[in-house]
Amino acid sequence: MIATAAATAWYVYGVVPAGTVPGGRGVGGAGVALVERGPLAAIVSEVPLDEFEEAALRERLNDRDWLEANARAHEDVLGSFLDAGVVPLRFGTIYRDREEVERLLDERGDSFAAALARVAGRVELGVKVWADRGRLLQARAGEGAPASGRSYLEQRLRARELASSAAERLAEVVRDAHETLSGLAVDGVLNRPQPSELTGRREEMILNGAYLVDASDTSVADAVRRLQEAYRDLGVVFEVTGPWPPHNFVDTEAE
Amino acid sequence: MSAVAERPMLAERVTLLELVDRVLNKGVVLSGDITLSVADVDLVYVGLRVLLASVATLEEGMSS
Repeated sequence: MIATAAATAWYVYGVVPAGTVPGGRGVGGAGVALVERGPLAAIVSEVPLDEFEEAALRERLNDRDWLEANARAHEDVLGSFLDAGVVPLRFGTIYRDREEVERLLDERGDSFAAALARVAGRVELGVKVWADRGRLLQARAGEGAPASGRSYLEQRLRARELASSAAERLAEVVRDAHETLSGLAVDGVLNRPQPSELTGRREEMILNGAYLVDASDTSVADAVRRLQEAYRDLGVVFEVTGPWPPHNFVDTEAE
Repeated sequence: MSAVAERPMLAERVTLLELVDRVLNKGVVLSGDITLSVADVDLVYVGLRVLLASVATLEEGMSS
């Protein structure tokens, strides 16, 4: 009996300059290779079609363990090319065969080359700011005349004043942080802060930023430390993650 | 040399949400031969929210 080879497809992680050395373990445990075309190369893995074709993929994405394992593999592969300069693709881009991948590089070559030029030698830093609004209000309420000396209406008005001034202060923090960090970075984006139901944290996310910086540039990380100190009295917490491949800085839909 | 070992921040403190938010929501979007449409990913993301939310609630319940 002749065994038929299982049908495969080509998973594409991102684009790097041709001549880069591939390595690492990819999605589904597959090996990682490059498909070169002129000055560019697509980072690929050959994957089982039955695991990655559309309907199967949609189902597997709802399996948290599968998603975590393969999202990490996708990210780790991109990370291994960070020094070379890499244009990340979104998870789940699959082509039927090698020729299709080559055609992709031919057709979108200029767009990819432009994106690569923008991110070469650069990395993404994630900056999040967390606030504890309740604690901030309590601290503020402690200042000024004791509540027992006020009428109920006065207490209500004061509570509203405190809430609105706390909100203003926090909005200032966000503005100052994003302006400062964007000014120091090559580029910066503000993403929607994520709700507690998603983060699982008690504190509220008030800033969800991403900043593109030269790999050796520490000015953004340094500025975050200064901002943390400057706003210590508000009880806000700054967190930096990275360096990431530049996921937030390769939007080329228009091109 | 492992790229992950070179980036301790990524290995230790990155949540699944942080990872998935980049990998599923960002990056160049192409229509490959067999790729997911943006709408499909949105649906998955909505499903993941529910999944993550239920896990977060569970973890909170366990620690209180």
